[in-house]
Amino acid sequence: MKIKDIMIRDVTSALADCKLYNLLEILSRHKITGIPVVNQEQEVIGFISQHDIIKDTLPNYLGIINSGSILSEFIQLGKSLKENSNRPIKDFMKKNVITVDENDNEVLAADLLIRNKIQRLPVIRNKKLVGIITLTDICRTLIKE
Amino acid sequence: MISTVTLNPALDVILEIGDLHLNQYNQVNNASLYPGGKGINVSKAVRACGRETIAIGFLGGGRGRIIEEELRKLGITTNFWHIENKIRSNTIIFDKKNNQHTLMSETGPKVTEYDLEMILSIFYRIMSQSKIVTLSGSIPPGTPKDIYAKMIEIAKNRGVKAILNTSGEQFSKGLEKQPFLAKPDLRKSNKVFGIEINKKENAINAAKEIVARGAEISVVSFEQEKDIFATKDNIWFAESTHHRILNLIGAGDALVAGFAVSSTEGDKSLDEAIKFSMSCALASALCEEEEFDSRKQADECRKYVKIKRL
Repeated sequence: MKIKDIMIRDVTSALADCKLYNLLEILSRHKITGIPVVNQEQEVIGFISQHDIIKDTLPNYLGIINSGSILSEFIQLGKSLKENSNRPIKDFMKKNVITVDENDNEVLAADLLIRNKIQRLPVIRNKKLVGIITLTDICRTLIKE
Repeated sequence: MISTVTLNPALDVILEIGDLHLNQYNQVNNASLYPGGKGINVSKAVRACGRETIAIGFLGGGRGRIIEEELRKLGITTNFWHIENKIRSNTIIFDKKNNQHTLMSETGPKVTEYDLEMILSIFYRIMSQSKIVTLSGSIPPGTPKDIYAKMIEIAKNRGVKAILNTSGEQFSKGLEKQPFLAKPDLRKSNKVFGIEINKKENAINAAKEIVARGAEISVVSFEQEKDIFATKDNIWFAESTHHRILNLIGAGDALVAGFAVSSTEGDKSLDEAIKFSMSCALASALCEEEEFDSRKQADECRKYVKIKRL
C-alpha cells in the first residue's frame, strides 16, 4: 500500500520566521501537536512540535520527565513562553527533519515513526509537502485490512 | 494541481421535506451535512473528474473541522487557515413534491488583518504547486474588496492561471488584474456592469464587457443551462439539450471546475474546454443533492451539450 492512499491530505505548515506565539495559535486551532516547517516553495525544511518548544523553553525539561510532575516548573514555563513568544520557530524546530515519499509504503512510514519516536511524519513529492502520516492512520488501515 | 480558494465557506445543511408549507409545522424526512462554498464545490467537481486539487481559505470552529474531515475523505487536500470564530452554515430546503430548492445563506464571520496576512502567505506557497487556481464566491466581513485582485497578481507572478467567479466590487477589481477566465456570480443580482442578464443579446454584451475589462475569457450564464463564452476575437453560445434538471445549485461551480480541468490537460482547444465545462455543469445539475462523483458521468453528458460559434 502506498502512503499517498492512507495519508492525511492536509498541508498545514508554517514558515521558519513564524513567531512562537502564532505557531501555538495554529496548533491550538487545528488541534494538532506539531507541523512541518516549509519554505516559500512549500519544501519541507523542518518540523516543530509542542515537545520541541517545551524542551527548549524549560531548562530543567529532563528533570521534569524524571520527576513525573510539572508543578514545580509550571511558573517557570509560563514565564519562559512569554519571554520567547516573539522568537521565530526556526530557533526551536528540528532541522534534520525525517520525511517519507508519497510512493513509499506504510511499513517504511511505521518504521520511521516508531524508531524516531515521532507522532507525525511529513509526506513529500519532489521535496514539496503533500500530506502527513501518523501511526494511527497506519494502524487504522491495518485493522481495516 | 488545481487549487481553489473559498474565503467564505459554509457547512451546507440540506433538509428534505415532502411538501413544504410556509408558516406551518414541516417534518424533515432527511437531513444531511455537506462542505459548501463555491470554491469547495469546484474542488469536489475537480476531484470527481479524477484530478488532484487543494482547497484553501478560511475555516473556523467545529463546523470548519467537519468540512476539513469531509473534504479529506473525498481525497481533496486541505490547507485552510483557522480563524477564531465559527464559519457560517447554508440551509437548503428541498421540497420534494414540487422539486424546489430554497437556499438560505448566512453571512460569514469577521476576519482580522492577521487572518488576511496568513491566507495570502498560504496562497503564495500553494501557488508553487499549482497550474490553475479558482477564486470563487463571496468574501467574509473584514476582507478588502481587492483580495481576489491581489491573489490574481500573486498567481500570475508565479505562472499560475487564475479563474475568477464572484460578484460586485471584488469581481470588477479582480478583472483589473486580467484573470485567465472570469464568470460573474449572478445569484444575488442578475446585472453585470449595469447590463441585465435576461436575454441572449445582453449576455453577449456582458461577456464582451468582461473581456474588455481584462479577462482573457469570460462566461455569462443566462436562463437554465445556457451560457455565453467570449474571448477578444470569438463568441460561443453553449447550451444543454437535456431538460430534466434536478438541481442547479453548484452547476456553475462544476462548469468552472470543468474548464479548469480541461485547461490543464495539454493541448485541448477552447471548443473542447467549453464542451467539457458544460458537460460537468450538466452532470452536476442531474444530481439531486451532492456533486457528481465520476468523470464518466461528465463524459456521458457531452452528447447533450451543443456549442455554436457566433
